[in-house]
Amino acid sequence: MKFDEEVDSESATTEGRSVIVRCDLAGNRSQRGDRIKVRAASRPGFWTLLVVLSLVLCGCSSLTSAGKAKTPIAELPAAQVAGHVTVWSWNIAAESLNSIRPRFEAHDPKVHVIVDMTGAQMQMRLMLSIVAGVGAPDVSQLQNTDAPYYIATGRLTDLTSVAGKYRAEFPAAVWNSCVLNGHVYAVPWDIGPCAIYYKRSIFRRYGIDPNQIDTWDRYISAGSEILAKSGGRTKMLPMGSNDLSTLFGILLQQSGGQIFDGQGRIAIDSPQSLEALDVLRKMRMAGITSDVPTYSQEWMAGLTDDSVATYPGAAWLSGMIKDSVTAGKDGNADWGVFRLPAIEPGGLRVANVGGSVLVIPAQCRNKPAAWAFIEYALCSREGQLAQYRGSGIFPALLPALHDPSMDVSDPFFDGQMVSNLFTTDITKITPLNKTATWTEANGYLNEALSHWAATGMTKEDIFKPLAQTMSRRLMVDLAPGVSNVSGAAVK
Amino acid sequence: MIENKRQELAVEPNTAPKTNGLTRGVRHANWFSRYVRYRHFYLFISPFFLLFAVFGLFPLLFSFCLSFVNWNGLTAMRWVGLQNFRLMLGDEMLGTALWNTLIIGLLYIPPMLVMAFLLAQLLNAKWLQLKAFWRAAVFLPCVTPMVVISIVFSLIFSSEKGILNYVLSVIHILPVPWLTSEQWSKTSIAILVIWRWTGYNMILMTAGLQGIPVETYEAAAIDGANSFQRMMNVTVPLMMPTFRFCILLSLLGTMYMFDEIFVLTNGGGPGTSSLNVGMYLFDLAFQDFKFGYASCVAYTIAAVVLIVTLAVNRLNRSQEKEFVS
Repeated sequence: MKFDEEVDSESATTEGRSVIVRCDLAGNRSQRGDRIKVRAASRPGFWTLLVVLSLVLCGCSSLTSAGKAKTPIAELPAAQVAGHVTVWSWNIAAESLNSIRPRFEAHDPKVHVIVDMTGAQMQMRLMLSIVAGVGAPDVSQLQNTDAPYYIATGRLTDLTSVAGKYRAEFPAAVWNSCVLNGHVYAVPWDIGPCAIYYKRSIFRRYGIDPNQIDTWDRYISAGSEILAKSGGRTKMLPMGSNDLSTLFGILLQQSGGQIFDGQGRIAIDSPQSLEALDVLRKMRMAGITSDVPTYSQEWMAGLTDDSVATYPGAAWLSGMIKDSVTAGKDGNADWGVFRLPAIEPGGLRVANVGGSVLVIPAQCRNKPAAWAFIEYALCSREGQLAQYRGSGIFPALLPALHDPSMDVSDPFFDGQMVSNLFTTDITKITPLNKTATWTEANGYLNEALSHWAATGMTKEDIFKPLAQTMSRRLMVDLAPGVSNVSGAAVK
Repeated sequence: MIENKRQELAVEPNTAPKTNGLTRGVRHANWFSRYVRYRHFYLFISPFFLLFAVFGLFPLLFSFCLSFVNWNGLTAMRWVGLQNFRLMLGDEMLGTALWNTLIIGLLYIPPMLVMAFLLAQLLNAKWLQLKAFWRAAVFLPCVTPMVVISIVFSLIFSSEKGILNYVLSVIHILPVPWLTSEQWSKTSIAILVIWRWTGYNMILMTAGLQGIPVETYEAAAIDGANSFQRMMNVTVPLMMPTFRFCILLSLLGTMYMFDEIFVLTNGGGPGTSSLNVGMYLFDLAFQDFKFGYASCVAYTIAAVVLIVTLAVNRLNRSQEKEFVS
């Protein structure tokens, strides 16, 4: 086949001809192809190859179906904990772990930690090595939202015997993605309590008092005021219609809604969802949103010009803001933070977005040493506070959050006690029930929201069809009670 | 070389003793001794076949087997038989993806090919200077990295700060929500695709034009055909194979278009208004980890594409025969 083609294209002189000739070839090939096929089929080598390949296939499938038993971890006396521990992590999080390495190795001199900081394709590499049963690190970082997917595979180490005792020391909002059927498979690292970042200069210019903004309604009217006084130049917040699910998720936590109920059934079709959607609708109707994709060039540009007044976001967003905005000589950038507005007066003013966990893949050979590192880095006040001071990783560990050393004023935000503000009511955050299909469900939610926004927000109830789509595609039932309540509410 | 080999193939069986009971054994010895005899040649061509077996054939067969299982990559595979295919028949999102693919194709293929043809004509003209430069200039978008393109085009199409809307406002046309409206997202993608792939098609067409013998034009000119008549009656019919080739490539390209949609509309948004088949497959396999179902859809689409391609080729051939006779 290869030869035929070359012979034909050699006969063509110009590049143009060769293209046409090949085009003809495709047409004529059926005759030649037949001959080749006949020859191939009569050749024993061809069948040998097929048999070998199908054996390989069978081998693969039997390997994967064997699965790995959930290995419990035994607590060893500290003297016996020794060896090398490799850690996969990315970005600033990896730097943070690397920075506490000397402290840890002083604490556990026999354990040597190697942090692999190349985050490129980490998710894919981790998945492949977990499937293959070899090549995974001893400790790996996962996003909080991805943890349930990996836990459901049964290829992570069961940490219940050693990590169970720390349950009360983490907010429920981050702990619940680490647990499956009462067993602990991951330990929360950081938490993303949300608030509103604002530019003090804009608020001063138009006489807006951020302390008055305690509900989303007041937030919207403040936004309208800024919009009117600036002649339409300054929008209140960026809200890309391609990424409405993040803000919706914040609102859903405030209204007490869920995507999945406790049994993993679809609970998105609820009055709480409609309540959250209503806030989004009011914001967009008021014209105070700037429709730029999240983290795009234009979004970043809004940080430094006065086209956007506020950025709702998690504690970790301050790192991005500090990277982009140049502060004055005294380190003051004239930015500020106020607490998340509530949906109703007196309502919940916190929510969590993002955060990571650390896990030990089941194939890890030195589990006690791996656990010793996780315990030091995440479950000790010393380890978490060192990471907060060094890299700004907002600790998920409550004793660290309540440590007096967190009460420091931040010059970037004009000396405001920012971490205090984020810590307030952190234990009251509604935990969202996360399942193995969380990411996929969130995708459908985002699609439905962007469709709703792009079609003029005319649809009253987008959640009934969405719940059905989710139920059909994720193959889980609808939560019975929630669905009925919502039906009544719509009428 | 091939001829020699064929001759030997024809000769060798004759030299073997023609005993019925031994035929199988002899044949066996024949193909084996053939391998041994030409081992150097087989050795030289083996890298391709080894690589193809590992990276081409194996994934093909493996994903075919995957179409009959449910597998998320981590837990055990579960045999579901034809259930994936049944699911696919009622998959409204696949329907949307196919519909979007069709619309995007219709939006960009005709204007792109017409422009490519006209540009090719222009760049093939005798009077034009700096031909290589112009050709490279038109071809450049095709080799520009997608990251650069994505940044530039998101700035052009941005509804609030975009250059395109600024230009429209200067000539008193209301801003268009290029990427944030379901009506316009497909158009924006079509514009990007036209910009990116016109040069590539132009090169193909230039090649086609250069393949047309000059004598046909001379003959037409002698017969008194003006330049428009020459184009319609000589160039266009003789370019038909190139046109079909370009259309086929573009159709396949639309099916499996990925990076344009991934970067411009965040992978198919708003809603699912710009989700095409390629993007949908990516989502199924690498976002939702439904490898079984994704393989099933991919195989079905590939089968449809194969049938369409064969049909187009058959059409091609029958028309060519007509043309020759």
